[in-house]
Amino acid sequence: MTRGLFAVVVCALAAGPAAAQAPPLRWGGDKNGGAPYIFEDADGKLVGFEVEFAAYLGKELGREPVFVQNTWDNLPLSLARGEHDIVLNGYEYSAERHAETPTTVPYYVYSLRLIVPTDEDKVLSWAELGRQGKKRPTVGVLRGTASERYLENRYGDTIDLIRSETVTEMLDEVQAKKFTATVQDAPAASYYVSQGRFPGLKVVDDPVGYGYYVILTKPGDDALRERLNEAIRKGIRTGTLRELYQKYHLWNAAQQRLSYLSEQPWPAVADELSVEEGGGVMVAKRLRDILDKLALAAGTTLLLAFASFPLAMLLGVLVALGRVYGPGWVRVPLGVYVEVLRGTPLLLQLFVIYYLPTQLGRIEGLEWIGSLAPGIWTAAILGLAVNYSAAEAENYRAGLLAVPRGQLEAALALGMTPAVAVRRVVLPQAFRIVIPPVTNDFIALFKDTAVCSTIMIVELTGLYYQFKIYPSLVLELAVAVGLLYLLMSYPMAVLARWAETKFGHGGTR
Amino acid sequence: MIRVTNLVKEHGAHRILNGLTVEFPRGKVTGVVGPSGSGKSTLLRCINGLEPFQAGEVAVGDVRLVGGGTPPRATLVQLRRRVGMVFQSFNLFPHMTVLGNVMSGPVHALGRPAAEAEATAKRLLDRVGLADKAAAKPAQLSGGQQQRVAIARALAVNPAAILFDEPTSALDPRMAAEVMRVIDDLADDEQLQTTMVIVTHDIPALKRVADTLVVLDRGTVAYAGEPAGAPPGYLD
Repeated sequence: MTRGLFAVVVCALAAGPAAAQAPPLRWGGDKNGGAPYIFEDADGKLVGFEVEFAAYLGKELGREPVFVQNTWDNLPLSLARGEHDIVLNGYEYSAERHAETPTTVPYYVYSLRLIVPTDEDKVLSWAELGRQGKKRPTVGVLRGTASERYLENRYGDTIDLIRSETVTEMLDEVQAKKFTATVQDAPAASYYVSQGRFPGLKVVDDPVGYGYYVILTKPGDDALRERLNEAIRKGIRTGTLRELYQKYHLWNAAQQRLSYLSEQPWPAVADELSVEEGGGVMVAKRLRDILDKLALAAGTTLLLAFASFPLAMLLGVLVALGRVYGPGWVRVPLGVYVEVLRGTPLLLQLFVIYYLPTQLGRIEGLEWIGSLAPGIWTAAILGLAVNYSAAEAENYRAGLLAVPRGQLEAALALGMTPAVAVRRVVLPQAFRIVIPPVTNDFIALFKDTAVCSTIMIVELTGLYYQFKIYPSLVLELAVAVGLLYLLMSYPMAVLARWAETKFGHGGTR
Repeated sequence: MIRVTNLVKEHGAHRILNGLTVEFPRGKVTGVVGPSGSGKSTLLRCINGLEPFQAGEVAVGDVRLVGGGTPPRATLVQLRRRVGMVFQSFNLFPHMTVLGNVMSGPVHALGRPAAEAEATAKRLLDRVGLADKAAAKPAQLSGGQQQRVAIARALAVNPAAILFDEPTSALDPRMAAEVMRVIDDLADDEQLQTTMVIVTHDIPALKRVADTLVVLDRGTVAYAGEPAGAPPGYLD
């Protein structure tokens, strides 16, 4: 997936005469994260409580706010690269985050909410998530968020955690009952569930894991941070923020703590209060934990590759045989199959396989399609296999055509049936001819398993995404993940060379 | 006995076999000669069902191929199990050993048990003088040796007839002589009773082994009979 590309969207929300003179306030966020933070309305206009908050800040600072789009978990990296001046998008305070990207005083007190289907009757409380049962509940969370860490720390042994990048994706999955529950920050839970936008879902039990949304700034940018702090304090004192949160139905009793917190030395007060989500201690960062996760992710990568490629080869051989030896009514649709799959991105195919049945299932009369929706693993393996089957089909077709015609004739002349002649004589030779491109494809597929992180499977690249919101880990993780890929793919390359040497000779006489 | 009646084979507008009628007597060696393009190889390929033909008939015993349509697959398989073929370019299977090549027909075409097929294959390899090459791959053999393996492979399915399509054309004279010695040996084997049809330009060898001679010219039979009675020019 192409990530880290910046789409600069100019929101002239508070462009006054004074603002025109000062440099713009470039604020980074992810509109794909969804409502009520930053999202597009029906006219494509950027709205959300953080958009309006940014407008307020721009006005106070006398700088025109300019929105810079990036994927949520990449925002600290793009801040460090100087693509924008601040990050304002539901980032939670933690001591470690503050050390890397100094934070402002909080502008919102968030909590975590447990969301389940309306007819769910087993998991109705946090306590029930922690019970050892026959079937582990599957719980969706946003990658790299406080809710992820909260669940990992408290329920890591009793639930299966599925990480995603968008709130609505999680809510869809729970509503479709693919997941048992999802844990979301209170603003999202309020906007989507309490306000009835997902009628198949309900919020259960009390809020937990209180923490603070803060603005991230660049180290050394103390002047800007202090001006932002002043603006936030003023917004709290004057009730501007309260009005804003009330407009979005986000105001609650917890926000009253903002008055006290914003006037205390920051971040000392947060550390004293010991943020409940455990953000001060990044458990995931412990070496042992990271190594365990790396091993698990490497295993996932291997599993995806070794489960999908044989299937791709089998499909590829069948398609190639149909195209080379089949009648016209078989050759034409198989040709279309190959061209469509070769001509569209793997990512799109994966999305179609995973999401389309669920989406179609919502249309009246097509509910049965929804019941066919594959699970994450089935979709991932099937997606990779189907995509690569097109390339394999072309490899095998080329291999079949490269076997001299005389070989088939000699086999037929011995009295073999055409099917036996192809199976015993032509195919084995074709396999030998295509060893190099097929091995190459396997190594490519091995790396393409990374795409599966977009449907919530945590393989090596997905794990890297999870951890890369902590800039201090980025280099070590990049090296570790890169090395793991290399360690796993290099033996394939060696095996391929060995196979070419052993079988390649005599295959094309 | 192979009987070919009024065979017509066309490639587009070009007629290669023009109503050709000929018989190859059972247990005899028939040489087929003629100028290049006279239809010799095409005739063999039509007899073996490797080339469809537009009209006429090929009969091998009671199995008949009729021109003008796609023959039933079962008929083709049945006919090919009776008629072996040795190709100019050998066409050994490179992924199999020499022994595997000779066993491939009995095992994969006739469904014989591997042990039985192996015994037959070893006997035939011994007969063509290549018993010591059983474990070798075709690429490790000379051209002459490969053609001898191809002959053993054709014999392994115990065909009623073997068609040799220019078996020595791709070989140097020494290797060609090796191959012709094997064919000589088969021709002299009175127990074998295999009908052999040899298309070749190796006239001296043909004079030595052929019982009868067929001369083709522009897709028809110009002469069929004793080699000694062949019209002047064809055997010079």
